[in-house]
Amino acid sequence: MKERVSVRQSLMTGVSYMIPFVVVGGIFIALALAFSPIGPKGPEVDNAFLQKVLKTGELAFGLMVPILAGYIAYSIADRPGIAPGAIGGAISVAMGAGFLGGIVAGFLAGYIVALLKKIDVPDALLPVMPIFVIPIIGTGAVALIMWIIGVPIADLMKWMTDGLNSMGDASKVLLGLVLGLMIAFDMGGPVNKVAYAFASAMIMAGNAKIMGAVGAAICTPPLGMALATFLAPKKYSADERQAGLSAGLMGLIGITEGAIPFAAIDPLRVIPSIMAGSAVAGVIGMLAGTADHAPHGGLIVLPVVDNRIMYVASVLAGITVTALLVNFLKKPVAQEESDSTSKAA
Amino acid sequence: MNIVAVTACPAGLAHTYMAAEAIKRAAQRMGHTIKVETQGSMGLRGELTPAEIAAADIVMFCVDMAVAKVERFNGRKIFRCTVAAAVRDATGCVNGAVAAAQQG
Repeated sequence: MKERVSVRQSLMTGVSYMIPFVVVGGIFIALALAFSPIGPKGPEVDNAFLQKVLKTGELAFGLMVPILAGYIAYSIADRPGIAPGAIGGAISVAMGAGFLGGIVAGFLAGYIVALLKKIDVPDALLPVMPIFVIPIIGTGAVALIMWIIGVPIADLMKWMTDGLNSMGDASKVLLGLVLGLMIAFDMGGPVNKVAYAFASAMIMAGNAKIMGAVGAAICTPPLGMALATFLAPKKYSADERQAGLSAGLMGLIGITEGAIPFAAIDPLRVIPSIMAGSAVAGVIGMLAGTADHAPHGGLIVLPVVDNRIMYVASVLAGITVTALLVNFLKKPVAQEESDSTSKAA
Repeated sequence: MNIVAVTACPAGLAHTYMAAEAIKRAAQRMGHTIKVETQGSMGLRGELTPAEIAAADIVMFCVDMAVAKVERFNGRKIFRCTVAAAVRDATGCVNGAVAAAQQG
């Protein structure tokens, strides 16, 4: 029997396969726009080569939702789920229901195909199932449902995108705060991934500003801890100081996980500190209107960031808050060991 | 005890390999033999063969997503934990797997 996969794991599977498409799409589009002259309505891509780059990026984006839907279905129903899921995702894009519709399509396809697979057929008919019966009936069912429920989902997507594009400052602060907290909370775990997926999907929907705030929040935990070990080496063990160096590197290329070793050793002091730092970075990013066209964080994405000065400023503010807060909370290593009974690592 | 494990995380960059390292070290420290397959963004590394899977006492899935080529493990007893749990408390995860194996 196939192992049962949770809803969260199905979503994560889809996201995992989708990420390279979003990366390529976001970066190609941003590069084409970055190297083009600004006309009255924004960048005008008049260079033939750059037009191809732009088109490639847009095509990559176009594959994003079908891949997401296809692999959500794959996680539930294995290979036969991919086609019905991906096609359902394509329908969602055509209807303007975007990645929300894609998620619905993926789960629909997964469960429908899983049901179809359970039908008992005489041995002679077995080969016909995965090639014809399951794809056709499975896709047919998914398509039927999607063409209907795609309409309210598209309305919801439009409402959400419009809302995000016309946010007032107070809402921006709140959003930056919440996203920053989520990014730092489990440093690459599921909560972090939700915030990240949301920001990435917004790039596709045309709003790269959310990612501008999230990209800064992503690198704040590892860079903040690296700064902390640099500022107050006596408060960290030799292992931690070493981890600080790699955390610095990881932070530069946007890998939040660099902070995990510190959080594992001293969660009560580290986690609130990195959450505070990421929240600050997120808020400043939202207020300053930075934008990040690649679904990735850190300083490595600077080539595709709008308003680079404020992006870097939001990172600097965040890591300063994290480093000062965690060092303020921490006692020197020697004192720690004599205070408490030692715990096995 | 003979353990085989799979680690898989959506981003597949860091967590996956950190978890694999942690589980490997913890299991070896406790005297078990272990082989870990990582399913990262570059694909499968250290792919477990059917022979290795059949010879194992218990299979560990330290994963946050669906396991690729999961048919290899059909019929085997599987102990599941999250990637975060494997990184944070590898010893606990291995102990849990061993306990699951002994329950038969």
